[in-house]
Amino acid sequence: MQRIGDEPVYEVFARRVDGEPLRHVGSVAASGDALARVYARSIYDEESWIELYVVPRRAVIPVESVRTEAVDAHA
Amino acid sequence: MAMTDEQLIERIGQGHIVESPGEMTPEYRQTLIHILTVSADTELISAPSYYTAARNVPSMNNLISALAIIQDELSHAHIGYRILQDLGVDTEALIYDRDPKQFKHPYAFDVPLRSWIELIVANAFYDRAGYVLLGDVYRHCSYGPWRRGLAKVDKEENFHLRHGENGMRRLAATHREELQQAIDWMFPMTVEWFGLPDSLKTHGKQIGYRLKGSTNDQLRQTWLRTAVPLCEGLGFRVPAHHERATDAYVLDYPLPVDFDEAERRWLMDRPITWNDVLVRWKRRGPGNAMFVEMLQRGRRQMRETVERH
Repeated sequence: MQRIGDEPVYEVFARRVDGEPLRHVGSVAASGDALARVYARSIYDEESWIELYVVPRRAVIPVESVRTEAVDAHA
Repeated sequence: MAMTDEQLIERIGQGHIVESPGEMTPEYRQTLIHILTVSADTELISAPSYYTAARNVPSMNNLISALAIIQDELSHAHIGYRILQDLGVDTEALIYDRDPKQFKHPYAFDVPLRSWIELIVANAFYDRAGYVLLGDVYRHCSYGPWRRGLAKVDKEENFHLRHGENGMRRLAATHREELQQAIDWMFPMTVEWFGLPDSLKTHGKQIGYRLKGSTNDQLRQTWLRTAVPLCEGLGFRVPAHHERATDAYVLDYPLPVDFDEAERRWLMDRPITWNDVLVRWKRRGPGNAMFVEMLQRGRRQMRETVERH
């Protein structure tokens, strides 16, 4: 059984209405994509989103950041 | 070069928002972890507390709204613990291996709610306290991820307290006595929730780090400013009144006073010290072990099953 803190983290992005930017609304931790979708849908239900996405945190590649160590680690 | 605590406080004072653990001093990180744990624990423990009370619902519609509120609370807890994980906290141990007495939620949630009416009053009083406390964090907090996470929380706690207000309005005509009895013990309970008066507590770090924006007495006053008119407007007695000269709400009893746990009754003529209150809070209340057990039992059973196979 995976420890709770060891599950991969997914960043959650959502859009409320057309014309608004997709924005970061939070994160979930889940053992796989399917559960990440379920968790995102049930946890971030404060709005009637027209779009909702989960992205594995490891897939987010820093390009510019004032926190340079984050960029250097991926260089 | 690592920043000193003084430098960090100065930057925060200028409006800087902290976005990652790398920008924190150890003291800031510890203070943030503490205040986040209190918040997440409070959201989490409200679930078994409200669930236990929701078993007394008078209708299926009422059950649906009660369960919607419980689901919200669990989501709020999730957001808090998720942020704690990014700060390096082992949340598996924090949630599932911690001694019930070490949970950091307010004592109010250790006193079980016994009826649907008490759940309604809890929504009106306790969720209002949550709304006041977290609304303050939402507007002032220097830690970006938490501040953003609270957008959802702020919106939903407002819905919960409206649920309580509407429930009280609906029941005021037919269930006056029961509502008054609930108010009699739950009103002072919420007043005490806000903690030590400013004369006894130094908020230096939490306010300096802008992890909260207002003091205990200011937040208590904010709560009284809407809770008292709600009750008085419906014709219920509360041990507090508005003082015109200062435009402030004043308690009609000497805070803090003794609480009879078994009778769930405040002994208004028995003033105690805040040290006595802290002793009671640390001892925890009658529902503490049961509620934490409701949260931890399933995980423990699952671990045992995994070990057997």
